[in-house]
Amino acid sequence: MFLVFALITIIGALAMFRQKNVIVAGLCMVLTFFGVAGLFLMLSNPVAAALQIIVYSGAIMVLVLFTIMLLNSHEEEPAIQARPIQRWVGASLIAVFGAFAFYIVMGSKALADIDKASRPIAGMNLVRVGEEIFRHYLLGFEIIGLLLLSAMVGAVALTKKEL
Amino acid sequence: MESVTHLPGLSAVMIWTLLKVLIVFSAVMGIASLWTWVERRGSAMLQDRIGPNRALLFGRWQLLGLPQLVADGIKFFFKEDQVPPHVTKSLYWLAPVLAFVPALIGFAVIPFGRDFTYKGVPYHLSILEPGNSMGMLFPLAIGAVAVYGILVAAWSSNNKWAILGGMRASAQMVSYEISLGLAVLAIFMKVGGYDPSEIIKDQMASGWFIWRQPLGFLVFFTCMFAESNRLPFDFAEGEAEIVGFHNEYGSMKFALIALSEYGHIITASALIATLYFGGWAVPFMPEAPVLLTILFFLIKLLFFLWVFVWVRWTLPRFRYDQLMFLGWKVLLPISMANLIFNAWLMSRGH
Repeated sequence: MFLVFALITIIGALAMFRQKNVIVAGLCMVLTFFGVAGLFLMLSNPVAAALQIIVYSGAIMVLVLFTIMLLNSHEEEPAIQARPIQRWVGASLIAVFGAFAFYIVMGSKALADIDKASRPIAGMNLVRVGEEIFRHYLLGFEIIGLLLLSAMVGAVALTKKEL
Repeated sequence: MESVTHLPGLSAVMIWTLLKVLIVFSAVMGIASLWTWVERRGSAMLQDRIGPNRALLFGRWQLLGLPQLVADGIKFFFKEDQVPPHVTKSLYWLAPVLAFVPALIGFAVIPFGRDFTYKGVPYHLSILEPGNSMGMLFPLAIGAVAVYGILVAAWSSNNKWAILGGMRASAQMVSYEISLGLAVLAIFMKVGGYDPSEIIKDQMASGWFIWRQPLGFLVFFTCMFAESNRLPFDFAEGEAEIVGFHNEYGSMKFALIALSEYGHIITASALIATLYFGGWAVPFMPEAPVLLTILFFLIKLLFFLWVFVWVRWTLPRFRYDQLMFLGWKVLLPISMANLIFNAWLMSRGH
C-alpha cells in the first residue's frame, strides 16, 4: 500500500513537471495531493489526510485552476533567455533540502521508538489536533493566523485601486 | 452465515462490509434514477402539466410514466457515442468518472440505521465504521473534490460556454464551502465530536439541531443547494441559456454526469437529515427497532430529496453577482455569528 501511494505521489509530481499544458499540470498536482493524503492515512492520521484533500485539492488547486482558466494562457511560455544557473541552483537546493529532511527523519524520536512499538500507535483525531495546537503550539498558531490576516489585507490593498 | 465464514480469506466482517457497500450502492443508484422520474413528474405537477406519459411498459402499462426511466436508459446506451473533434481526448473521457465517483462515495460515512448486536458481535449500519477519525470530514473532503468533475469536463470540452459554466461552478462551490464548514463546525463544537454517530446520539439526548441551531441549518441548507449545483444556484449548468459544462457530452457519458448530480443531492439530503434532523433517530422512541430506524432515515432522506425538486421548480435562478453577494456577505457573516454565539453560550457554562 505504501508503494502504491508513494508511486502515485511521485508519478503525479513528475508528470506535472513534464507537462507543458498548465491545466493538465494542475490536475497532475491534484493526483500528487491524493497520493500524499493516502500516505497520511497509512501513518494513521486520517485528519491530516482529510484536511489535505479539503484544503489543497478542494480549495487551493481549484482557485489556481480557476485563475489559469480566467487568464486563458493554457500553454507554458518559453523563456525569453535561458539561464542555466537556475537549474544548478534548483538542483542544489533540492539536494540541501533532501539531505536536511533525511537528517531530521532519521534523527526523530518516533523512528527510534518504532522498533520497540509493542503498543499500537494511537490514531490522530480532531480532538488531539486541537489539544496539541492550543496547548503546545499556541504561539506559532497565533503568528500564522496574524501572517495570513496580513497577507489577506495586503492582497486587498494591492488589488483595490481606491481604498 | 456459518458455512460461508469457513471460506478461505472471508470473514464475517468482510462479508458484512461488502453487503453494506452493495446495499448502499444499489440504494443510491436506485434512488438517483428514480429521482430523474420524480423530478419530471414533480415539475409537471408544480407547473400544472401532465408530464411524461408516453412510454408504455410492453405497450400497455403507463404506470404514471415510470417506464420512461427504462426508455431513457435504453436510449442512453444505444445512442452513438460521439466525441467532438476539438476536445482534449483523455480528459474528456476522464471527466464523467471524476464527476461520478465523488457523488457515490460521499455517502459512505453516513449511518442509515441503529447499531445492533448479533451473537455478541456489534454491527454498524454505515460503510465506514464509527471511530474512524475521519467522520464528518469525509463528506466535506469528497464535496470539495466533486468540483473537479465539472472543471475537467468544462475545460476538456474546449468550448467557451462550457468553460464559462465550469468557471462559475468552481467559484461558486469554493465560496460556499467556507460558510458550509463554519456551520458544521458549530455542530462539532456542541457535540464535542465529529463522528456522525456521535452527532446522532447527541441529538437523541438533547434535541435535534434544527431546534438548537436554526441559523446554522439555514446556512447549511442553502450551501447544500450551491454545492450540488441545483436551482436556484445552477450556474454550472444554466439550463435556460445553453451555458453548461456538459454541452459537449452525449449518450452514457452525459448520463453519468446527470446521475452524479442526483448522487450529490442524495448525499446532501442525507447530510441534512443526519446533522439537523437526528439521522435515523425515531422521535419519542429512543429504543426503536433497527428496521424502524432505517425506515425513518429513508423517510427523512426522501423528504429532503423532494425539497430539492420542489425548490428547483419554485424559485427562479439568482443572478451571478447576487449569488456571490449571498455567499460572501450574507451567509458567511451569519455562519460566523452562529459559531461565535454558540461558543459564547458554551463558555458561559464554564
